[in-house]
Amino acid sequence: MSSVEVAEQQAPSLIGSSVPRKEDDRLLQGDGRFTDDVEPARSLHMAVGRCPFPHARIESIEAAEAAAMPGVHQVLTGVEVEARTEPISVLRPVPGAADLPFYALASEVCVFEGQPVVSVVAESRQLAEDAVEAIWIDYEPLAHVSDPIAALAPEAPVLHPERMDSNLLASNPQGRGEPEKRLAEAVVVVEDSFRIGRVSPLPMEPRAVVAEWRPGARELIAHVSTQVPHLVRMQLAESLRLGESEVRVVTGDVGGGFGLKLGLYPEDLLACLHAIELRRPVKWTEDRVEHFRASTHAREAVHDFRIAADAEGRFLAMTDTYVTDLGGQNSPFGSAQLSSIVFTGPYRVEDATVERRVAVTNKTPIGAYRGYGQPEVNFARELLVDRLARRLGRDPLELRLQNMLSEEELPWKNAVGALYDSGDYGRCLRMVAERIDYGGLRAAGRGPRPDGRYVGVGFTSFVERTGYASARFLANRGSRFGAHESVTLRANRSGGIDLYTGVSTFGQSNETAFAQICAEVHGIDYAAVRVHAGDTGATPLNTGAFASRTLIAGSGAVREAAAALRAKTLRIAAARLELEPDALEIAGDVVRCREQPQRAIGLAEIHVAAITGQGIPGDEEPGLEVTAHFEPSAAAFAYGSAAAVVAVDAETGEFEIERFVMAHDSGRIVNPRAVEGQVRGALAQGFGAALSEELRYEEDSGQLLNGTMLDYFVPTASDLPPIELLHTEVPSPVTPFGVRGVGETGTIPPGASIANAVCDALAEFGVEISSLPITPERVWRALREASNGGEGLEG
Amino acid sequence: MDELATEELVEITVTVNGTVHRERVSPRMHAADFLRQRLGLTGTHIGCEQGVCGMCTVLLDGEAVKGCLLLAPQLDGRELRTVESLAQGGELAPLQQAFKDCGGLQCGFCTPGFLMTATALRESGRRLDREQIREELSGVLCRCTGYDGILTAVDRVLNGEQR
Ligand code: FES
Ligand code: FES
Repeated sequence: MSSVEVAEQQAPSLIGSSVPRKEDDRLLQGDGRFTDDVEPARSLHMAVGRCPFPHARIESIEAAEAAAMPGVHQVLTGVEVEARTEPISVLRPVPGAADLPFYALASEVCVFEGQPVVSVVAESRQLAEDAVEAIWIDYEPLAHVSDPIAALAPEAPVLHPERMDSNLLASNPQGRGEPEKRLAEAVVVVEDSFRIGRVSPLPMEPRAVVAEWRPGARELIAHVSTQVPHLVRMQLAESLRLGESEVRVVTGDVGGGFGLKLGLYPEDLLACLHAIELRRPVKWTEDRVEHFRASTHAREAVHDFRIAADAEGRFLAMTDTYVTDLGGQNSPFGSAQLSSIVFTGPYRVEDATVERRVAVTNKTPIGAYRGYGQPEVNFARELLVDRLARRLGRDPLELRLQNMLSEEELPWKNAVGALYDSGDYGRCLRMVAERIDYGGLRAAGRGPRPDGRYVGVGFTSFVERTGYASARFLANRGSRFGAHESVTLRANRSGGIDLYTGVSTFGQSNETAFAQICAEVHGIDYAAVRVHAGDTGATPLNTGAFASRTLIAGSGAVREAAAALRAKTLRIAAARLELEPDALEIAGDVVRCREQPQRAIGLAEIHVAAITGQGIPGDEEPGLEVTAHFEPSAAAFAYGSAAAVVAVDAETGEFEIERFVMAHDSGRIVNPRAVEGQVRGALAQGFGAALSEELRYEEDSGQLLNGTMLDYFVPTASDLPPIELLHTEVPSPVTPFGVRGVGETGTIPPGASIANAVCDALAEFGVEISSLPITPERVWRALREASNGGEGLEG
Repeated sequence: MDELATEELVEITVTVNGTVHRERVSPRMHAADFLRQRLGLTGTHIGCEQGVCGMCTVLLDGEAVKGCLLLAPQLDGRELRTVESLAQGGELAPLQQAFKDCGGLQCGFCTPGFLMTATALRESGRRLDREQIREELSGVLCRCTGYDGILTAVDRVLNGEQR
């Protein structure tokens, strides 16, 4: 019997229980340590001067006056940064893309509004900001292009002429079969172009960095608010031409990441460079106006999607050609890459092709954001499924169920070779239909109701890739990180276990989940496990937290390390108790004989024995510490369905989401309360992107129109519709404990289900929606266009 | 650094979490910066400096206010309370415990803002149902939780378990 099985025999299981979170006590008492809370003695402060134009040539920079201001220590410009650093590396390059190196400061041409051009370090933030104001930069504005489709037109100004002939960075076709042939034979083909708006992930904590350099020790300590401390360490070492051993990245609490804090930003590098040259600690905290311009944006894409079906409604083919906007230059993660993986969704489609085209525009670089292409493509596909149902006179629920992969058909390899591991997709869809009483709603009709409003129901179904397929998959795409996670467990003399992980803590409850798994497998009390996260000087080298991969890879590493630690603990205890290790168990703070529990020895005593090497069997090595690495055998596919019920005013386009029900499967659940929190939080971001969030650019000036919190609307407590959650728990066969990732799921269904519900409500008017966000104004316009006898497709 | 500042410093006396502080401050410094940088009370966070996000919410003479909209000189003679005042002797206050029990936080960056807003609601003695609580809390943003756990926690403390 393996040690893991032994541990699982102990009642009651910690896995699956909503134990109190490890993170909470400090955060509730104002004792979290966020990067801006760190301020070493004699710290200096940095401010950054940014390009005010979307596209401009830097003619001259006059900084002498600023440099001479009292309290100012250093001014850096792009020319100096280019000489003293290497470009910032891209962690997840687009396959087949031209290399577009970028430095922390622009030296010749700026390609987006907000791009850093000068940095100043002074005694205080205010003095640094005043000095930035005193720097005179002469720009020659250049022709710009904001729209990704316009950027690909032949007449568009080429933004990187030295490296590219057009603004098309790469195009990546994938797929199988002969969809064009199927489309030609099909009885019905639905197609449209779908626009997904540009949004900000907008974590509540802005980015921040504090850099310290000790020249004699050759040690750079960089406190950075990031999801990936070990990757930032690598990037800093590369760009600063340091050995990795000379760089330590320390990440304390992170106030939200969502993909935005994935990798090195120019300001992180600049603060370090200043600190090295000035031999003083340098601090920078982003303000919110900078955040809206210089922290990565997300999502913006245009999907040209087609679905072909036969007269019975069987899906014959799907194609999706989509353009994602990269913005002016690379970011460490770049624009979304997962639309291609899940474009066919949970459906049985043999012939399907997809092509991602990446366009460069004069806007803030795009980076990762929760979902990373999956909400976008889900919107396009699921709206077309409803249109297909209307064309065929079929019920959209029935049509989905007819084409959905059944439990028996899994595992299934989709058109791009992704393997859906297991699940009962139809069950989730039937659950939401039942919960909203679909039959009753249909019987009641679409209205208008006595209040004058029309009622509509919208469904959506999805699959979601969580984690990474494998290191080989990543290597093929040039990604600079692994698919595994690594964890160190170290026994301490108080009888506890210290758990070290490079996964930083930004709200995903990883400290809690890791401690739960450690306690479960090992047998020690949950309270006696302490998690130390995010310091590259103390934690094993790892990849970091993104792509819903933390638990998938991390839980395996914790499990293996805990099992090994347990085995050694039992061997040492067995020698002391003169029993066989098999006869023992760890229960809280003691190791004891299972049959005669009074024969016991304190865990602390075993730990001390191992740590001192005193009183352990002759064939045991001293020490009680294990590092384990774990790579899951494949990505796990989470899945689910949602239904929205809306009431729409056909005069004004205003609508209310009266109900929203989602059923999802995240495999085995480690901590139900934490999972529910993740799902609800991601849903709130999904509702934001579906209803109110959109970064808008003025066409003529190319300037961001709503780059402050006053005019970019994230949902408040009063803005969210009532949300009902259901879930199933089908364990994934490819992950430890059967978990699937859960952090991103909620971002996927809101847009599609609401749009489908609005179109359903207004079906008699022939209204169709093709873009996100869905605002009352857009619905009103769609109504007008439909009543004018047009195609009914709003723009 | 103060000696480099050109403007006149203002002397203020302010009671923070029960302790009287006499400080000379720049007239441009806002209250959240004062708490964080001068007093080392970093539990009060800064998210926008525009009065929108609520991360900086503190109690000024018992009333929830946004610390970034208040200048340090305006604190003179007033009484301020921050998140650091809530737990007593290492024991979480009922509101803090409720947040913990109800999943009221994830990254925790917004938590001090919600706790102080809710503390003011509680002390006001007003009776509020869940929808009214929702309205009252909508001046603080949270990007992680979707607000459900926060609402449940505040509802529970204001109105008791039975609801
Ligand atoms: S920092 Fe004060 S309201 Fe945002
Ligand atoms: S818990 Fe992260 S912003 Fe609220």
